[in-house]
Amino acid sequence: MTDMNKLMSLNGAIAAFRFTDQGELEEHLIASGSDINEDALDLLAHVCQANLSIATMQARGWEKVSGQGGFYPIEGFTVIGLEWSAVAQGNYGVVLKNEGADYQTAFNLLGGGGAS
Amino acid sequence: MSVLLELSGKPGVIAVGEYSYRGDRFSVKGELSDEMARMASIMCRTTTMSEHMQARILDSFCPDCGILPPQGWIVRGPMFTVCNIANVFCFLDNNTGSLNEIVAQMRELLGDTDPKLI
Amino acid sequence: MIKRPLASDGVLAVCSFRDDGAHLEGYGFMPDEMLRALTGFAHEYKRIVQGNQDQLSMFTQMRGWTPPGGWIVRGKLLTVCSVANLVCVVENAEGHLNTIMRELQELARS
Repeated sequence: MTDMNKLMSLNGAIAAFRFTDQGELEEHLIASGSDINEDALDLLAHVCQANLSIATMQARGWEKVSGQGGFYPIEGFTVIGLEWSAVAQGNYGVVLKNEGADYQTAFNLLGGGGAS
Repeated sequence: MSVLLELSGKPGVIAVGEYSYRGDRFSVKGELSDEMARMASIMCRTTTMSEHMQARILDSFCPDCGILPPQGWIVRGPMFTVCNIANVFCFLDNNTGSLNEIVAQMRELLGDTDPKLI
Repeated sequence: MIKRPLASDGVLAVCSFRDDGAHLEGYGFMPDEMLRALTGFAHEYKRIVQGNQDQLSMFTQMRGWTPPGGWIVRGKLLTVCSVANLVCVVENAEGHLNTIMRELQELARS
């Protein structure tokens, strides 16, 4: 079970959120003094869901054509903006400042495997 | 040293590639056949285009809050991860590669790429 | 010329754009700023649809999906549809999508 408070403890975390399978924002935390707002998070949640779906389609196609496994099922997606990144996995996401962003730990906290 | 050469020598890096934003050229170094390299370039370019549109829409909800211009994206699978900054992508083994190091290096080398090239 | 679809029932706006995304013309029941935003969306969406169709062709090895002839996004009350470098916004309750798509295809060819 992903703990949104733990996500907020990541270095540079400015927001954590949970979204439905349709990308709708269900729950969120925003760090005080942060520029981001609920509307932006709702759209970001839709962006994450859309990209997880596209990546899933790509992984499916890639594995069928190339015979190389290891991508499907897609676990997570991250968009890296100018100043911050949104890391999403399953139905949760976290927004991190780019400087010092720890993607590995973010993915691990969100429920994926791999070394940190 | 070229960006591709520099990244291809890092631990866990399976392949690195570069594509033109116009979609007419690509080059890849690493363990991908020519056909897989072509497919990877098409997929990464499409995702980058999509990311740029989404970032512009996001920016309209949250003007000047730091999403524009977007620098890249990461897709994580159970064994492998693909990370892309500007028009360069990297296939990484989750167990032997360091995602943070690779992304930091890619951002350092490519983070300032002019978004008008898209 | 591109005003023609506006004569069809339910069409709220029609715009045209260049291959590089520059707004060429826009008409309809929307402020100019929104028409320009519609053009921007249509241009970017066209490229994304193109990219996804390329991938579909690549993965399935099936002919006939590319280049895409257009796209339609249907919302609850409104639909956005596009052919080539033309885009329309249509009210679902009033518009007839087949007619409008045919009109856009004819315009795109002319």
